[in-house]
Amino acid sequence: MAMFAWIMMGIALWHFAIWIPDRFWGGIVGAFLGALFGAAIFGLLINGFTIPGQNDTHIFQAIEAAPGAIIGMVLVYFEGVRRGVPALDL
Amino acid sequence: MTDRRRNLIILSLVGALLVASLAVIIPGSPLSKQTRQGLDLKGGVSLVYQAKPTRFSKVTSDSLNRTMDIMRQRVDNLGVAEPEIQRSGSDQIDVSLPDVKNADQAQQQVGTTAQLLFYDWEKSVLGPDGKSHPLDPAVTGGQGAGQPGNGTQTYYEAVTRASKFKPTNEPDDTTNGLVYGVDDKAKTVLCGPQETVADTRAACQTEGKKPTRFVTVPRGYIIVRAEADDGDKAAQASASDAYYILKDDPALLGTDIKNPEQNTDSGAGGTGQPNVTFDFTSNGRKKWAAVTRVIAQRGSDQLLPGVDAQAVANHFAIVLDNKLISVPYIDPRQNPDGIDGSNGSEISGGFTIKSAQRLANLIKTGALPIKLELISQSQVSATLGQQALHQGLIAGIVGFAIVALFLLAFYRILGVIAVLALFVYAIYFFALIKLIPITMTLPGIAGLILTIGVAADANIVIFERVKEEIRAGRSVPAGIAQGYKKGIAAIIDANVVTFMVAFILFVLATAGVKGFAFTLGIGTLTSLFTAVLATQAVLHTMQRSRWITHPAALGAGERKRRWTQDFMGASKWFFSISGLILLIGALAIGGKGINFGIDFESGTRAKVAFVQQTPSERQVGDALRSAGFNNPEVQKVKGDKELGANGLQISLSETGKKATTVQQVLTSKFGQTRAYQADSIGPTFGKTVASSAIKAIIASLLVISLYIALRFEWKFAVPVLIALMHDLLITAGVYSLTGREVTTSTVAALLTILGYSLYDTIIVFDRIRENIPRMPRAAFTQIVNRSMSEVLTRSLATSFCTLLPILALLFFGGDTLKDFAFALLIGVISGAYSSVFIASPVLAHWKEREEVYRRRRVRIAEESGGVVPAYATAGHAVTVDLKGPQRPSRRITSPEDPERGVSKREFDDLVADIAHETAPASVASKVREKDRAPEPKPKPAPEPDPNADAAPEDLVLKDKGDKKPKRPRNKRHGRPR
Repeated sequence: MAMFAWIMMGIALWHFAIWIPDRFWGGIVGAFLGALFGAAIFGLLINGFTIPGQNDTHIFQAIEAAPGAIIGMVLVYFEGVRRGVPALDL
Repeated sequence: MTDRRRNLIILSLVGALLVASLAVIIPGSPLSKQTRQGLDLKGGVSLVYQAKPTRFSKVTSDSLNRTMDIMRQRVDNLGVAEPEIQRSGSDQIDVSLPDVKNADQAQQQVGTTAQLLFYDWEKSVLGPDGKSHPLDPAVTGGQGAGQPGNGTQTYYEAVTRASKFKPTNEPDDTTNGLVYGVDDKAKTVLCGPQETVADTRAACQTEGKKPTRFVTVPRGYIIVRAEADDGDKAAQASASDAYYILKDDPALLGTDIKNPEQNTDSGAGGTGQPNVTFDFTSNGRKKWAAVTRVIAQRGSDQLLPGVDAQAVANHFAIVLDNKLISVPYIDPRQNPDGIDGSNGSEISGGFTIKSAQRLANLIKTGALPIKLELISQSQVSATLGQQALHQGLIAGIVGFAIVALFLLAFYRILGVIAVLALFVYAIYFFALIKLIPITMTLPGIAGLILTIGVAADANIVIFERVKEEIRAGRSVPAGIAQGYKKGIAAIIDANVVTFMVAFILFVLATAGVKGFAFTLGIGTLTSLFTAVLATQAVLHTMQRSRWITHPAALGAGERKRRWTQDFMGASKWFFSISGLILLIGALAIGGKGINFGIDFESGTRAKVAFVQQTPSERQVGDALRSAGFNNPEVQKVKGDKELGANGLQISLSETGKKATTVQQVLTSKFGQTRAYQADSIGPTFGKTVASSAIKAIIASLLVISLYIALRFEWKFAVPVLIALMHDLLITAGVYSLTGREVTTSTVAALLTILGYSLYDTIIVFDRIRENIPRMPRAAFTQIVNRSMSEVLTRSLATSFCTLLPILALLFFGGDTLKDFAFALLIGVISGAYSSVFIASPVLAHWKEREEVYRRRRVRIAEESGGVVPAYATAGHAVTVDLKGPQRPSRRITSPEDPERGVSKREFDDLVADIAHETAPASVASKVREKDRAPEPKPKPAPEPDPNADAAPEDLVLKDKGDKKPKRPRNKRHGRPR
């Protein structure tokens, strides 16, 4: 259940990446994957590579994924900058 | 073949099928067939077993088939009409027994392993030291052999003692060792025996027991319960904790006997009691003679003059599924050489007629080759079933009526044709249900009602296209031809995806959901025939009729309003709204979790209403507690049409066999039940449901991606996947926030959303695909904006039309239908939203990064003062001949249209749209401040080169429309303007 919350948090935060000029490596889909994997991996890291079940999941576990999602998107963004991806702002 | 002839053939086919369908449907006609109703509509008992291997047999396809054959024979013995026994997955068997009222009895008769074993009693029964003591009555029980009392020990003592014995390795051992769950503090055996610790743990969980440890009785030993007369409650009670340890060295097996019959002991000196007589097979007869000789001989050895033969007689034990059925003695004086088996033998000992019949039937059908564990059981009384059917029918009629009203109001004459097509669809579908036959269940009814929306959607897509063509200046016949020609691709794509998801659901889902998937799949195919082929033939036949010659009659008068919003510009806000909803959903899932029903969590849920008494929650709880149920939760049910005013809902942690006794307990305490419904789901079944749902979701996503990638291009598949995840997550978030219970129905609905929410996405993407070559100099966002403005009405109409029957389900359906409807409601709304505001913007963002569109964007910005307008403007004008490379005509649904060239008005509209700033000034000239370039004067627009940035395959024929005289290619086009 915690994994579900992490992924949901990651995807929720990805929606706000649309406000940033798109220099993500892989574009908006790259940002999506960055948020998704960032949230999941960060959640796993914090919980010692275990996934809390339905009864062990609490509200902070959803919040825990937020830094991971942001870090994931930032990494993808700077990889885009490093590769010289031009900004796209629709 | 001429179009007229083709249409006549189609209409004749439709008519013939209609007549045939009516013949199948109308009761009393020679071809009439019965509708096969599922247990949830008809009432009955449904049992789901999971097969477990034994020492002699693994769970294979062959062993499962043999097991099902034996079960069928047992069910036949029960006298059940139209039973269904089918395999589910690799190791499960579903048994549906209509009209059966006693779940406990059905379970005992159908799923019992029925392993019959015969033992030489004195030689086999073991003392605390693990050795046999044939002469010690304290071990064998003496004259009371097999009875509770002398020689018996408690279950806990027997199991823990036997666990210390050394395992044997003899070929006739019947087990590899059995595991029990025990409570050392209470000195009781809580659960088992099972073949493995894992199975025992699962069994304990099923029964709501928490053992302190698991104990293994090694191979070579079995624990058997003392004998007790079936009709004697006191004997049953005293035998409940009286056990023997036997050396597992059976003298005969159940396969060594034949022709078992229930009989009465009516011979000389007979008791008149019911018994079971049987013959031996030739091999069995030899074994029988040999073992009885040994037993008689042991008795003879102690038979001294003046000693009562019965006092020294040794015994023979008959064991059925670890219970002593009978332990008769062999009189050494009458049978000093044992008993010849040529005349057969009998089993007697406290049978009632019913229990003797049951044993005879069990022996007759033979032991099951594998062990079966009851993992799910549900029971519905006929009354509740009929009420559920009634509610489903009302929901269906209301759903149909409101969809029909919507179509009539929105499409007028076209609507009449669509409603007729819906009628035809409904009749065909009902006939198919009877003919195939499809077992109608509540989920199946939900699928049927949903397909009414799907069938209407196909009409909406085409009719909107027809209206569009007529508004663009085509004549009514040409508009109809073009509407069908252009709309068919989107409909086929959408229906194929829905069908594929239904298929995946059918293959992977559990039994209850299969009915839903099957009706959805069949309905989708049938609706393609009625909604596309049939309506097309009707419209083509009527195209010169005065009824439809005026566009207004088709709802295609002047367009009152056109969508002109900057969808791409606004997408940031819509993304943010979605992000916020998902954020709340994520927090809700973290904080509140999801309320999984017993389908996933395991347990028993029963609904009951009594004929006379109206016991309180406390009284019912006490009755259940005294019957051995742990912490029953009982609550009054308000507003349940099925149960009435005095309905009660009971939640129990126990499942399996224990759960089948709930109705008996309640009936014995509070009298007959007026309505009773119970679902009992074991933990194994819950896991199966969850894993099959996950497999179905993954398979659906893969298939959908592949299909979209093939039909469009792979970059179109990714936004589709993102939009689908969005829909599923939003639905999950809403379930978490509302605390609504997630059941198997919810999962089925979620999986349907996967297929259905694509409907809108495909409509939008289809138009984008169509507009890409038509707008070879436009930015991708402009193409998307234009496409969305063209299809938004259609998208809203299809979603609204699907919501109508869903709302009917939600308001008029019973609990199961409401479960479906709620998830579908959220999913369809979210699907429509995500198609327009998530999938399309993601696609635009991604495509804009492609070199061709990047160059276009730069050029458009240069031409338009540093800003890319929402819609194509004069600066990047180019007109395009809409005719692409001509493919050989492969007519499936559309006749050749002599007027399919571009009408003058359409041509003018295109020129106006693309080249002359058709977008409203507010949108076209709206410049976001941060986008505005600092240059004071925009440069004069350079002469555009239409071929500068278009891919070769994009364009076939271009002309510079503003330099050529414009005239219609065919004067028959359109009406005078």
